[in-house]
Amino acid sequence: MSTTIEDLALEQNETSPVQYQTEDGSPNVALLQDRSPKWMRSSRAALVLTSALGILFLFASYMIPIWHTDIWGHLSYGRWIWEHGQLPDTEPLMPLSIGVSMIDTAWLSQLGSYLLYGAVGVSGIKFIFAASIVMTAGCISIPLLKRTNNLWAALLSVGVFFWVDYQQLLIVRPQLAGLVCFAAIFAMATSYRWRRAYTILIPLLFVLWANLHGSFVVGIAVLGALCVGRAIDVYLKTKRLKLVFAERRTRELFLVTELAAAAALINPYGLAIYSEVFAISSNTNLQSLLEWDPLTLRMKQGRAAAAIALSLVFLYRLSPRRVSFSEVLILVGLGGGALWTSRMIVWWAPVAAYYASLHLAAVWANWRGFPTVAERKGSTTIALLGILWIFIAISPMADAVRHGVPKDHKQALAKLRKNVSTGTPLDAVEYLKDNPPVGQIFNTYEWGDYLLWAGPKDLQVFVASHAHLIPTEVWNDYLQIQATAGNWSDKLDRYGVNAVVIDKQGRSNLIEALEGLPAIWEKKFANNTGAVFYRKKPI
Amino acid sequence: MKSRPSHFKSFLCVQVLVVAAFVLAFVLTDVQAKMHLQKEFLGKEPFTPVPIAIQQPLRIKPLYDRPDIVSDEDLAAVLNQILPRFENEHMKPNHIEHSLRTWGIHATFQNPEAVSGMTMLKFLTDHASYMESWGNEMKPLLEERPTGIAIRWGAEDGASYHHDHWLACVTEAGATLDTPIYGPSGRDMTLQNVLQESLRDFRLDEKETEWTAMGFGLWIAPTAKAWVGSEGRKFSFDLLAQRLMRGQKQLGVCSGTHRVYSLMMLIRLDDEYDILSDSIRGAVYRDLEQVRDMITASQFEDGHWTENWPDGKNAVENPIETELYKSVIATGHHLEWLSIAPPELHPPDAQILKAAKWIIQVTKDQTPEEIKQRYTFFSHVGAALANWRQVHPADFWHKWETEHPYQPETAAAE
Repeated sequence: MSTTIEDLALEQNETSPVQYQTEDGSPNVALLQDRSPKWMRSSRAALVLTSALGILFLFASYMIPIWHTDIWGHLSYGRWIWEHGQLPDTEPLMPLSIGVSMIDTAWLSQLGSYLLYGAVGVSGIKFIFAASIVMTAGCISIPLLKRTNNLWAALLSVGVFFWVDYQQLLIVRPQLAGLVCFAAIFAMATSYRWRRAYTILIPLLFVLWANLHGSFVVGIAVLGALCVGRAIDVYLKTKRLKLVFAERRTRELFLVTELAAAAALINPYGLAIYSEVFAISSNTNLQSLLEWDPLTLRMKQGRAAAAIALSLVFLYRLSPRRVSFSEVLILVGLGGGALWTSRMIVWWAPVAAYYASLHLAAVWANWRGFPTVAERKGSTTIALLGILWIFIAISPMADAVRHGVPKDHKQALAKLRKNVSTGTPLDAVEYLKDNPPVGQIFNTYEWGDYLLWAGPKDLQVFVASHAHLIPTEVWNDYLQIQATAGNWSDKLDRYGVNAVVIDKQGRSNLIEALEGLPAIWEKKFANNTGAVFYRKKPI
Repeated sequence: MKSRPSHFKSFLCVQVLVVAAFVLAFVLTDVQAKMHLQKEFLGKEPFTPVPIAIQQPLRIKPLYDRPDIVSDEDLAAVLNQILPRFENEHMKPNHIEHSLRTWGIHATFQNPEAVSGMTMLKFLTDHASYMESWGNEMKPLLEERPTGIAIRWGAEDGASYHHDHWLACVTEAGATLDTPIYGPSGRDMTLQNVLQESLRDFRLDEKETEWTAMGFGLWIAPTAKAWVGSEGRKFSFDLLAQRLMRGQKQLGVCSGTHRVYSLMMLIRLDDEYDILSDSIRGAVYRDLEQVRDMITASQFEDGHWTENWPDGKNAVENPIETELYKSVIATGHHLEWLSIAPPELHPPDAQILKAAKWIIQVTKDQTPEEIKQRYTFFSHVGAALANWRQVHPADFWHKWETEHPYQPETAAAE
């Protein structure tokens, strides 16, 4: 940006002298003209929104600990891929799953996060976690702000998204990368003006998404719904089928849906990536996991979703904005998916947040008039970039880049402790490292990932969060043992389990049951989070 | 006006591109991934029949001819006890299977009460014959499925007791691969169909895999070390061996002794067909050495072992209260696997002699009613002792009957 007063002077009326200085002798800033390119200018509202997103970034970075499941398992697979220089064709980490066919739909996330962890440690994970949430929120709120000029609506969309999806967002996993792709594609596909670049950008994003996480099929479904919805809208308006496909937006959406589906084939498994996505979602083992249960009002996220759904109904009644068939299709489709399995709420929430805020802005505009178009300035962009830099500079990631990863084990452990959830079995793993168990262990599902990641070398973990890769019989036996149901003790003997590593939450019955067998089991370690038992006479 | 043809062209280009992308992706997809696709979208299971190159099952030859362990007279006495004297009504598949594996399909007997090998085979392989024994009300033993033919197994009446026990016993009895199997509808099936169905529906983590290992090993060892099951999981003899070694040693069928027999059999098959990796073979061998050490320490003075044989010395020092038949199981089964094991896996010879002496005496002392009640366990004694003479029970018995013809009066007096 350059602002010169010489040019301005030419434009002035030659009869009136240019006042280069104010009366007190200071430079007259009123003469300055914004010479920055238009695309580079930002409004104050954008500055406020960026600040809000930055605060969200810091909140996610500092206030939300890394959840003790999932991410550690993914890091373990990333480590395996890095060490072996190839993708596993059968499950490589859990001895009871040897031979089980594996199509690793999240290989790129796993490898990427492993390399990032290697470079900057746990701060890197916190960074991608916080950045994913903020990027998703940004993909909803920034287009909203541009479209409505209503800062409050944009801020509300961030709030609604975070409120409804909070529980899903807590768990760091490749799905977050999928969520960013989803939000970016949704933003492009629903933008007011279709840009030609989207026809290339969207398929490219799908290439990335198909390698980051299996959720890319949700994106294809949403694109398809947008296309079908648009076609219906055009037909209802024109009553001529011929015009449906003649309409540019419908045609673009159709083509981009096709290209997205084809682009997703660019992955190490080709066509099989599609079948794997359906295989995972229909795996019977997952039925026993809470997060795969249908969404109900007993869940916090269920109540939040219900509140937003009701608000949407209310807003649709009041909104002067035309309700497109596409948004109904997407909201109902993804909402129906969430009723089928609560994990689908993660996709419904950003869409619902966007449409709720969009219609709220329309209601507001109808009631109080359209907000005045905010002035955009290059200087605001400078301020915006400065704020962005500050938020990044004070993040844990920047701290790790500046100071490096602690080399000392105690310091590294202390740092890890500060950054992970209290449910993470840090101390139990330290005990296992000092006293490696012989042979098979039994562990609870929630701890399996961290045990795979941080446990002693060749630790024979029973189960971990990749439940779909566990043979059904083993999984059913796991459920029985952890619930001390039936002949659970006999099962421990049959699997040759020599150590039991369990968390206390919901498993106090198993801890008590093992304490009740002092001739067989000896409690070697216990703290607030869990306990470790060793078999007195190893099998 | 000009834009319309250009739209159409670009539209057409994208269609061609997309179709080409999917076709190319399908062509480039590897076999495993194609199987996965077919499974998810067409419901086609990934299992493909395992090639079998032999018509006759393999046989694990016993390694020793030890008249000092069991004499002809003692062997004859024991075999006489376990003659298949079964009444036709409600013949238990479990008994027939045990008897058939011991005597073989070609066994014939002068004693008219004894059922021949072929009759036993027919009972197990022909639904009509099974119905003659059990009537119409009983569920068929042979279950016809779209994918082949399976055996009804479990604790219920008229069923084979253990999974794949039928297969292992019919195989050990010497039935050929083309042995006809007549299910309820009389479809054109053979033993091959039963075997392939068993390979298809095998689950590594089911409760018992002892007979599966035997049935598969004796048929597919010459042609396949690994195969893919119906769920797409890759199975191998390595995995089977690991599964057999898993867990507390006593926790298996017949106090864990069948697991030992199956492991020993896999080692013998590996000697000839290299079905195990070196590391797993080493692990199996170490496991068998452990068993050897355990039974060396846990044998009682009179020669018998009890069901808690894995407790080693503690089994003798702190004896448990147990029933005789459990000692018959442990002692008979240990003698059986030892008869196919190399000498380095044997306990001291004197211990084998003592064990044989004890089991011979106990078997001879049983009344026909007691034998009938515990037929399955005593059948293993007969098989084990015949092995120690390197002779098939049917061959020995045939020769014995030639020299000592059946006399109804004597039999009645007995």
